[in-house]
Amino acid sequence: MYIIKNALTSIRRNKGRNLLIGIIIIVISCACAITLAIRESANKVVSAYEQKNPIEVTIGMNRRSLMESLKQDDKSQEEMINAFNEIKEPTEEEIINYGNSNYVKEYYYTYSLGVDAKDLTEATDSLVKETTEVKTEVDTKRRTFPGGDSKFPGGPTSSGSEETTTSRRTTTKKTEKIFNEKASGGAFTLIGYNSYEDMKDFINGNYTITEGEVSSDFNSNSCVISEELAQLNNLEVGNTITVIDTNNDKNTYELIITGIYKENTESSSSMSSMFSNSANNIITNINFVKQIVSNNSDNLTPSITPTFIVNSKDDIEKFTNEIKEKGLSEYYEVTSNIEELENATKSITNVKTFANTFLIISLIIGAVVLIVINMINIRERKYEIGVLRTIGMKKSKVSFQFMLELLTVCMFALLIGSGIGAATSVNVANKLLENEIANTNNEVGDIGKNFGKDNFMPDMDAKKNFKVANVNQINDMNAIVDFKVLGQLFGIGIILTLISSLASMIAISRFSPLTILKERS
Amino acid sequence: MDKVLRIDNVSYRYKDAKKDEYVLKNIKYDFEKGKIYAIKGKSGSGKTTLLSLISGLEKRYEGNIYYKDKSLKKMDLDTYRNSNIGIVFQSYNLLPHLNAMENIILSMDISKVKVKDKKKKAISLMEDVGLTSSLAKRRVLKLSGGEQQRVAIARSLSYNPEIILADEPTGNLDKDTENDILNIFKRLAHDDNKCVIIVTHSTNVCNQVDIVYELKKNN
Repeated sequence: MYIIKNALTSIRRNKGRNLLIGIIIIVISCACAITLAIRESANKVVSAYEQKNPIEVTIGMNRRSLMESLKQDDKSQEEMINAFNEIKEPTEEEIINYGNSNYVKEYYYTYSLGVDAKDLTEATDSLVKETTEVKTEVDTKRRTFPGGDSKFPGGPTSSGSEETTTSRRTTTKKTEKIFNEKASGGAFTLIGYNSYEDMKDFINGNYTITEGEVSSDFNSNSCVISEELAQLNNLEVGNTITVIDTNNDKNTYELIITGIYKENTESSSSMSSMFSNSANNIITNINFVKQIVSNNSDNLTPSITPTFIVNSKDDIEKFTNEIKEKGLSEYYEVTSNIEELENATKSITNVKTFANTFLIISLIIGAVVLIVINMINIRERKYEIGVLRTIGMKKSKVSFQFMLELLTVCMFALLIGSGIGAATSVNVANKLLENEIANTNNEVGDIGKNFGKDNFMPDMDAKKNFKVANVNQINDMNAIVDFKVLGQLFGIGIILTLISSLASMIAISRFSPLTILKERS
Repeated sequence: MDKVLRIDNVSYRYKDAKKDEYVLKNIKYDFEKGKIYAIKGKSGSGKTTLLSLISGLEKRYEGNIYYKDKSLKKMDLDTYRNSNIGIVFQSYNLLPHLNAMENIILSMDISKVKVKDKKKKAISLMEDVGLTSSLAKRRVLKLSGGEQQRVAIARSLSYNPEIILADEPTGNLDKDTENDILNIFKRLAHDDNKCVIIVTHSTNVCNQVDIVYELKKNN
C-alpha cells in the first residue's frame, strides 16, 4: 500500500519529468489510436464486404478433365456428346448430403428443366447431323404377248414373252439431332428458385426487372421472361405462356408472366450473338418445375445447380475433399468466388497492412523512446534508489514502485492520447468507409428495383438473407475508437510500460546502494 | 554485558585490489547496548567500509559479523537494515521530494513497524531530536544541514532499532550543532539503551563517546 502512496507522491512531486513522459506517450498513443482506428475500419469494410459477398462454392463440370479424358480415347464429337450425357449429375439427395457439412453455413439450389413452349419462337444451339442414304431400286418387268415377236409389235405373229429391267437410284437425306441433354431438353429453360434470396442474379444485378415484378408467391404458376423473348413473341406482363413437357407433349402447363427482365452481364452484350445467354430462360419457382417433373413418368430429370456458402476460406478445400469422399464424380469440379472476393478487398487489405506496419513502427519507436526516457529517469533517480535500498526497501519493491509510477503516467497519457486520436480518426475512418457506406445504402434500393419492387425494404430477416452489410454511418467516436480499440491501446500501453520498466528493473537490480551513495557524496 | 554486535576476524579488500591488499584485516570488535562507540582513523583506513559491512550494504568480506549471535551472512539484509539498525549518513540521504515527516513515515512503512498513528509518531520523533512540529511538512531541501541531520536521526529511530550507525554525522555541521547531535546520540545510548556506533575522525566526537576503536591503514 505504501508503495502506491509513495508512487503517487513521487508523480505529484516530479511534475516536469512526468509531464515529459506523458507528452511522449500522448503522441505515441494518438498515433496508435489513429492507426488502430484505420485498421478497425479496414476490418469493418472487409467484413462488410465478406458478409455481403459470402464465400460461395459451386459444383460444375470439369470440362478440361472431361475433354482430356475423351481426347485420349480419340473419340468423335458425337461420341463425346454421348459420353458427356452418360455422366450422372448430382441428385437433389446428394446435394442435400453435401450441404449437411460442418464447413457449410448455408446452401441452396435451383432447378433447371428444358421445356418446349407453345407458339413461342425457338432458339437452339443444337448440333445437327445430316446423313445421306442412297437406295438403288431394281425393277424387273416381264411382258407377254400372243404370237409374234413381242419385240416387234405388228411383226410376225407368234406367241411369247419378254423381260425388262429398270434400276432407280434414290438419295435420302436424314438429319439426326445430337444435343446436349444436360443443357436443355427443349428450346427453353425453366429455372426454378425457392426464394428471393436464392435469386443471386437479381441480387447481384445481373438481371433487372424492366417491367412487372418477380412474384413473391413461390408456389404460383408465375414466371418472368427475358426482354428478348417478350419482344420476339409480343408478350407482355399478364400474358400467359404454355410450356410443354418435352417427353410428353400432352403435358402442358400454363404460366402467367409477372415480369420481364433484362440481362446486364458482359456476355449479354456479345457482338457475335444475337441474343443474350438468358434469352430463353423462363424464371419461375422450384415447385412449378417439380410439378412438371412429378407429372412425367419417363424419369424426367431436371438439372440442379447447387451453391454452398462456406464458413471461411480454409473450409473451401476441406469441403471439396469432403464432397469428393461423399462421391462427387471426378468430372465435376468445385469452384469458389474467393479469388474475386480477395481481389475486391485487395486495396483495403493493403491499407490494413500499411496500418499494421505503421502501428508496429510506432510501437517500436515508442518502446525505444520510453526505454531511453526510463533509463535517463533511473539515472536521475539513482540517489533515490540508493536511499530506499539503504533504509531497507527490497529491490523488487523499488522496481514495482518505479513501474507503477510509469504505468500511472502512461495510463493517463493513453486516455488523453486515445481521446485526441479518436477525434482525429473519425474523419480518417469515415473517409475510408465513405464509398462502402454509399454502396450499401444504394444497394438495398437497387435490389428492390432488380426484383421490380419500388418500395422494397426487406425486414431484418430478409435483410440478413440478402447479405446486405450492416455498415452504419460513422457519426460518433465510439463507432471507431470503441472498447475494443481502447482495450488494444491499453494493452499496448501496459506492454510498452512493462518493456521499458524491464530495463529500469535490470538497472535497479544492478545498482549497489553503497556505490550510489558514495558517488553522491 | 549486553553484546549486540560482534565483528569476528573480518577482512575486506576491494574487488580489483591485489591478493594481499586488504583495506581491513582481521578486525575483531564487540559492541554492546547502552554504549556509544567511535570508530576513528585517517582517510582510507576503512572506517566507512567497516560501517558498510556492519550495515549489510557490503556483503563480500571474509570472517563474520554477528548480530545477536546471528551471522549477517545468513540474514535477510534488507530486513536487517529496515528493522534492526538505523543508519545516519554525513550527507543525510533523505528523499528530496518528500517532506520531513514523509521521510520518517516512509521508513516506518518499509520496516512494517506497527504504529497506530504514524504521523503522530513522526512528529514525536522529530521533537525528540529537537525539531519543532512546524517543520514536519517542510520539504527536506528547505531545511538546514543540522535540521536535515536531525530528520535523518529521527528516521533511523522510527522503527526503534537496537543499533544506530552514523557515518560522519557531524561532518557537515558546525561545532554547536555537532554537540547537539552528539547529545542526541548520547541520550539514545545511555537513556534508551541503544548501541550507537559513530564513524568519525573528529577528536571532539571521540572525546565524548564511551569507547573508541581506531583503524589504521593496512592494519
